[in-house]
Amino acid sequence: MKNKIKVYRAMHDMSQETLANEVGVTRQTIFAIEHGKYDPSLILAAKIAVLFKVRIDDVFLFDTLEE
Amino acid sequence: MKRNYFYLCVAAVAFIEVALFWVSVDIVDPLPSVIAIILGIIAIYLARMHVDEVIDDERTRKITEITALRTLQITWVGLFLFALWIIIDALGEEFRHFNRPTGILGFRLLVVLCGIIVVYVLLSQYYNKKYGA
Repeated sequence: MKNKIKVYRAMHDMSQETLANEVGVTRQTIFAIEHGKYDPSLILAAKIAVLFKVRIDDVFLFDTLEE
Repeated sequence: MKRNYFYLCVAAVAFIEVALFWVSVDIVDPLPSVIAIILGIIAIYLARMHVDEVIDDERTRKITEITALRTLQITWVGLFLFALWIIIDALGEEFRHFNRPTGILGFRLLVVLCGIIVVYVLLSQYYNKKYGA
């Protein structure tokens, strides 16, 4: 699953560490999500979307072909 | 408490545990070692409650789940093969006079492995019920 977390982090001038602390995960998890190595749970995806004040599908791009 | 400070505490507790293990060996009394392990677990649990930073999250929990499952599967198969090996080795041509200690060990190991399956099935049913089935 692709995502635009890096873009939204840049828009909000936010580091991985800050984002991780805001949504209650480790920095390594944010790194793994950004690099497509880990797909977050719905709750975590929602937390990230709420933090950036956008919809989940604005941040996470679900591709059915991928699955 | 910072995360790294917590890890230092865990290392300190582990160091004390090892020291007390050798004290137990020296005085030939397992009690200090057993008490130290229980107190150590409590100390780590209390220290963990006071960590401000995130130590584990959904990704680390998922890693732990998969790692635990694979460890169980690999260990179970490995021990099962080992048990079969020593049972067959013990049986050999003395099938009717089975009394070699390695064979007994093999059968005991099989009983333990069956016990693990029983625990797995019980826990599986419990979590199946808990998560909606």
